[in-house]
Amino acid sequence: MVIKTTRFGEVELNSEDVLTFNEGLLGFQDLRQFVLLDDPNDDIFAWLQSCELSSVAFPVLEPEIFGHKYNVNFNRTDLESLKMQANQTPAFLNIITIPDDPTQMTANIKAPIVINIEQKIARQCVLQDNNLAIKEPIFTKLQSRVVQNPQTPIKSQGRQFDMTVKLSDSGKGQIDQGL
Amino acid sequence: MLVLTRKLGESIAIDDHIKIRVVQIKGKQVRLGIEAPKDTKIHREEVYLAIQDQNQQSVQVSSDKVKNISKLLKSE
Repeated sequence: MVIKTTRFGEVELNSEDVLTFNEGLLGFQDLRQFVLLDDPNDDIFAWLQSCELSSVAFPVLEPEIFGHKYNVNFNRTDLESLKMQANQTPAFLNIITIPDDPTQMTANIKAPIVINIEQKIARQCVLQDNNLAIKEPIFTKLQSRVVQNPQTPIKSQGRQFDMTVKLSDSGKGQIDQGL
Repeated sequence: MLVLTRKLGESIAIDDHIKIRVVQIKGKQVRLGIEAPKDTKIHREEVYLAIQDQNQQSVQVSSDKVKNISKLLKSE
């Protein structure tokens, strides 16, 4: 299948690349199908791209990248929604917000994207832990990663679950409308 | 929406396991006590609105801007 994206033009996918959000995401409840895109021109982020609305794509990072480790006991609603057993380990991604001044970028660690990798089902889980920030500053944490490990692109320092769709390097059909 | 009137100290029960009691009334503020099973998520509504707002801000960014962050991280 081929999806249209505002940032990366037309992207060809296999149907098994699609992640289903049965409840959508907060503020985007009508969008159910997303895919993770890997842009070869970018060292850091993956994109959680809507298959249904071309302009909707969230830059995301694995929490390990900025040094956050989740230890979550999911409740029944989360487990049922993700079709997951309590002993299964899901993948986590955090949505990143990048304002005009990128040094002020933040990660939402309060409401991570949780993915049942085997079933390709995902959900934005609002966690009960009140110590988790919706706007966790991460710029300096990413900086120290770059200093520690200057040769390896940041995005290849995570768990790298095999879910992302690599975009072609050629930029064929890539039109960035500068959203 | 179901609307119920309660006095100070009175409760409502939701399902079999959730109880919400009016603990204090002070001017325009009401304090509520909530008893619920351990894995029930309880948040002020603002938490959901703040997450919604972050999601909406996150999709505003262009891929060009994101590409430049790598350089910025190395330069500063």
